[in-house]
Amino acid sequence: MNTVTLGHGSGGRQSHELVEMLLEGFRKRSIGPELEDAALLPGGYAMTVDGFTVSPRKFPGGDIGHLCVCGCANDLAVRGASPDFLGIGLIIEEGFPSGELAEYMESAAATCESLGMTLAAGDTKVVPSGAVDGVYFSGSAFGRVHTVHPLSMSNIREGDSLIVSTSIGRHGAAIAAARFNLSVDGLESDCAALWPLIKPLLSFEGLRCMRDCTRGGLGTVLCEWAESTNLHISLDEASLPVDDRVRSLCDVLGFDPLYMACEGCIVLAVSADSARGILDTLRNSPFCADAAIIGTVTRGEPRGMVSMRTSIGGERLVDMPFGELLPRIC
Amino acid sequence: MCLAVPHVIQEILDGKKAVALAGAVRTEIRTDLVDSLSCGDTVLVHAGFAIEKLSPADSEELLALWEEVRSLAGETLRGSLTHDAV
Amino acid sequence: MLSNVAAASEALKTLVAAPISVMEVCGTHTVSIFRTGLRSLLPQSLRLVSGPGCPVCVTDQGEIDCALSLLETGAIVAAYGDMFRVPGKSGSLASKRSAGFDARLVTSASDVLAIAENEPRNEVVFLAVGFETTAPATAALVLEASERNIANLSILSFHKRTPPALKALSADPALAISGFLLPGHVCVILGHEPFRFLAEQHGIPAVIAGFDPEQIMLGLVAIALQKKQGEATLRSVYGQAVRPEGNTKARELMESVFISKDASWRGLGILPDSGLVLREEFTRFDAEKRFGLSRLPGESPAGCRCGEVLTGRITPTECPLFRTACTPVSPVGPCMVSGEGTCGAYFRYHRTNGGKQ
Repeated sequence: MNTVTLGHGSGGRQSHELVEMLLEGFRKRSIGPELEDAALLPGGYAMTVDGFTVSPRKFPGGDIGHLCVCGCANDLAVRGASPDFLGIGLIIEEGFPSGELAEYMESAAATCESLGMTLAAGDTKVVPSGAVDGVYFSGSAFGRVHTVHPLSMSNIREGDSLIVSTSIGRHGAAIAAARFNLSVDGLESDCAALWPLIKPLLSFEGLRCMRDCTRGGLGTVLCEWAESTNLHISLDEASLPVDDRVRSLCDVLGFDPLYMACEGCIVLAVSADSARGILDTLRNSPFCADAAIIGTVTRGEPRGMVSMRTSIGGERLVDMPFGELLPRIC
Repeated sequence: MCLAVPHVIQEILDGKKAVALAGAVRTEIRTDLVDSLSCGDTVLVHAGFAIEKLSPADSEELLALWEEVRSLAGETLRGSLTHDAV
Repeated sequence: MLSNVAAASEALKTLVAAPISVMEVCGTHTVSIFRTGLRSLLPQSLRLVSGPGCPVCVTDQGEIDCALSLLETGAIVAAYGDMFRVPGKSGSLASKRSAGFDARLVTSASDVLAIAENEPRNEVVFLAVGFETTAPATAALVLEASERNIANLSILSFHKRTPPALKALSADPALAISGFLLPGHVCVILGHEPFRFLAEQHGIPAVIAGFDPEQIMLGLVAIALQKKQGEATLRSVYGQAVRPEGNTKARELMESVFISKDASWRGLGILPDSGLVLREEFTRFDAEKRFGLSRLPGESPAGCRCGEVLTGRITPTECPLFRTACTPVSPVGPCMVSGEGTCGAYFRYHRTNGGKQ
């Protein structure tokens, strides 16, 4: 890998390659991080860092300011930490309209308020015209962990159930619709702050771990879990909640909903006996009316991989996407 | 080589364009390749161009073929039941 | 009661006793078969082979390098998403874009007109790839550009014709194919006639099918029935979309803009009359002439056996580069890079050795 490409930023296998390269210097000094959404720190706290370069900056369902707060808060929440403190770094292109910047910060402030999250630190840099595309947000969040035992993919075991909290791919579909000039009534990003939904789940002993789906979609997270645990994940396509609008958009552009980015969808690995209880608790929230059990963790073959029983009763493997998702005509 | 999706014509525009709906997706398509389109027609759209008007129902021939499939399937299942019973 | 697909799966078990090979010649069929898990519903006796149905995969490497060189002239090069990761010698559209060249993804030929109008000071070149399903749209683009005197637009035609490839395949005595599943959307344009020769001259059953699982299964059943009854005819299960005479208007538009010429196909060599190039009166829209390019057929990269994969002679797993030197992250040939290429599809959906690559 001589140069970094857009594919390296897409959340699939190429992103892994980039991350591993970047961490080489740290790993050999044994100070590399674990690959979860947020890091658990000594003393019962968690921390995360996230960058936001979404284009268009305003999309149906949100904007870059709202996304920044949700993204960081959700990374903490899926490790059982409350979104207590936030730091925002802005890299602003010379000539960017201050009114628009103020709008995004207002959006971020409103989201923080709804979560009880405090902006504790910030930084701004202005760069020459053309050096960045408008404005980039970088967020860092910090919060107290509320679980007794750490939530981590190493907890996952054979027999566990997999749950998604809502229909998949809405964020990716909304962005793609905007980018390729397709109008889809009512299609909005699922961008949302998930701590209020996650908090009541933390008391379930059978909760193994959670992930926020983001880039690369549900498919990528499940492949990562399967690879890291060397277990097998078996999905049931008919159980996957996919909004009709997302499905139509995927049909038109040739995308697979399994790989479309989400911003308000969690996937949970839970013990079989706690699955029903966790599902019911999730469904109490209007955001999670579509929450569903979508598969199981097994010791089947091939190990370290994900298979899916398709809606026509066939079987196929689900792999990580390679590079950016590109619309097809073929 | 040919991802093409059925779209329902919503509105015929000036020039060689129309507004069409594919499920929930509303888009502008080109109509250069198909004549006499009206609102409500279902067309197959490939790379932004309508390539054919779809006819509404499966033909008699096709239905007959599915009947044959079912009867063959029936034979197989009966065959395997007999085998298992032995 | 069984679903249609399940019933067809059972029917095939009865019908296909002795092993047969069926070739599908459309990348969209390949992807659909893998993605829906349909392959797992077929009896072991039915071997499905993927033929040269991926217009991106059969694009000669020299042609890809030609397209990449256009970027270096400062031109805006517009192409469908499928083309972006295809490797030439000096990279791909995606890698060139990362390096700062202006490669633009379009989802329709009509997008290209808009780009040309919005960027009057730049040359805009459209990489026109695809078979007969896609060529009529390019023809419409050229006609409109001509009517409106758009001066900064040209096309590099990689369009190819499907029947010559099937002629070459069926004339090869080493190819043991019992039936052809024909590309439904190419047939929407061409109709039945250009494919009759498969049955009439070569005695191979040929069935035109659409792309959803029911269509594909029904097409396979129709082939298996013919095999069983010792018949060989051209049939269609896609009457909803395919008229026996095809889409005359689309064909006429295509023929008014393009003329056929010999073309080089990766894996099949030069096939007579198999490529589409612009007619004389549209020369000014021909990027090759405008930029003084020459399309030399490139050599395949060392060890690449895409050609044999495309002609169904070997499966991806039989190529020594598969999954070792050639992976979707670092592809050697287009069969691996294109989303619908046989090797890419195999890698994604059909891994048998589990674990990391």
